[in-house]
Amino acid sequence: MKTELEVPLSSRLALYVAMAVTLIYSFFPVYWMLVTSVRDPKVLYNQVSLIPGPFSLESYETLLAATDYPTWFTNSVLVASVTVVITLIFSVLIAYAVTRLHLRGKTAIIGSMLLAYMFPPLLVAIPLYTIFAQIGLANTHFALILSHCTITLPLGVWLLWGFFKQLPIDVEQAAMVDGCSRLGAFFRVVLPLSLPGVTTVAIFSFLLSWTDYTFALVMIDSDDQKTLPVGLETMTGQYELRDGELMAGSTLIALPLLVLFIFLNRYFIHGLAAGAVKR
Amino acid sequence: MGGDRTIYGLFFFGLALTAVVIVYPAVYAIELSFQNAQSFISEPEWVGFDNYVRVLQDAEFWNALWRGIVFAGTAILLQIVLGIGFAMLLDAAIPFKRAFRGIAILPYLLPTLIVALTFRWMLNDPIGVITVAMQDLGFGTVDWFGSPTLAMGIVITISVWIWTPFVTVAILAGLQSVPESLYEAAKVDGASAWQRFWHVTIPQLGPVLTVVVLLRAIWMFNKFDIVWLMTGGGPLQATEHLPILAYRKAFQSYDVSTGATVSTISFLILAVAVLIYFRMFPLDTKD
Repeated sequence: MKTELEVPLSSRLALYVAMAVTLIYSFFPVYWMLVTSVRDPKVLYNQVSLIPGPFSLESYETLLAATDYPTWFTNSVLVASVTVVITLIFSVLIAYAVTRLHLRGKTAIIGSMLLAYMFPPLLVAIPLYTIFAQIGLANTHFALILSHCTITLPLGVWLLWGFFKQLPIDVEQAAMVDGCSRLGAFFRVVLPLSLPGVTTVAIFSFLLSWTDYTFALVMIDSDDQKTLPVGLETMTGQYELRDGELMAGSTLIALPLLVLFIFLNRYFIHGLAAGAVKR
Repeated sequence: MGGDRTIYGLFFFGLALTAVVIVYPAVYAIELSFQNAQSFISEPEWVGFDNYVRVLQDAEFWNALWRGIVFAGTAILLQIVLGIGFAMLLDAAIPFKRAFRGIAILPYLLPTLIVALTFRWMLNDPIGVITVAMQDLGFGTVDWFGSPTLAMGIVITISVWIWTPFVTVAILAGLQSVPESLYEAAKVDGASAWQRFWHVTIPQLGPVLTVVVLLRAIWMFNKFDIVWLMTGGGPLQATEHLPILAYRKAFQSYDVSTGATVSTISFLILAVAVLIYFRMFPLDTKD
């Protein structure tokens, strides 16, 4: 790795230009969303200005007054949290068993998880909706949570499998020789050591559930059951929300993710690098 | 050991749940494709391969397949090229590296809906920021969603914007494992920067690229939300690929069996393509 000073000025300049272009390319749409959301709606359709202002929170006020935003927010939080909990419990279990126990068909289990990665979303959504419609569970959060688990479970197993595989088995065995049961060794030794992996799985399950549009579109019909993305989208037609309000709504959906991202940056990058995030 | 029993028990429960949630729906989709379910709650009849024959004889299906290949192929190519570029930039000695890396990854984390709404607003006619910029540059008022080619271009461009960071991060990890000595040796041999890129960097990235291309190809081929949100498959079906065709059949015409058939065929095509890919580029099986 070279230090900055060894690089000649001309190529350093080229580097800065490339950085500036990348920065604008990656950040401009987000910037525009934020700027639009806090701009006075009265000027929104008269002129285009790259500079923020005139400031006004009117779009936010209209949005919250005209829609069920708090309900959708609660729904999103509920669906995402339960998805995370179910995913964590079962992916930890399955991944641990596959790496530690003597089981036949281990590779088949991991293989089928990878296969699930290849399923087109509608190959899962059509039959799931049919099943839920027949047993009267269509249009429930339960249906949505289960359909989110079809993505997050393979993700969790796959990621944690890579993690548990690398943990030295001696540590656990030492704990078991010292009188720990396997469960005790699991909770006292394996789980603390694999906390980064478990955190990564939790973050990405949350992300997938929070941002999901396709399954929520298929599974949920009634307004009071909707999650944020689908709720906001239906508003574009029904109530003719203007773009200022839509950008305000978008900002509110993105905000929790941005906060998470700033604090848990390295887990995001780890998960991405592990190739585990189906999007 | 006593704990083993508990673990085995929980494990099989977990496995059973996975089977119910993932395997059963897929099997049921295949079953539906052999029946004539005309709604989600009707009692279906067994019709053998009728649905398959009908779908495969339909020009709509082949057009959608071709559009899907154009959409996914172009998007993947651009994602890989841009992703390699961004990764090399992030690997270079730049100031504010961490913050910069964070911003470069940001698009990947945004919900598709937000990206779609934001781009729809930026392309708004007549006052979207991109529309106005095009006017100022002398292109006149572009009707973004009126032309089939432009509409396809837009969904491809936005897909590249959202999902390139996945490639960037994977390639960045790959770049950091290329031994510096290889570059030094190439330099001693008089290789130019461009030659070092082609003959050292790219071959060293081979295994990473194999996996990244595979994953991106699978996900782009199956991608539903961004296309649906930007164009709804239009104008005049110009961006209707297999996922949209399946959705339209199942959830708008309530022709559940045709929707299931299209999804099943789409999955089979993907499976065959993946098998051929593995033949051509075998993955390293070190573990």
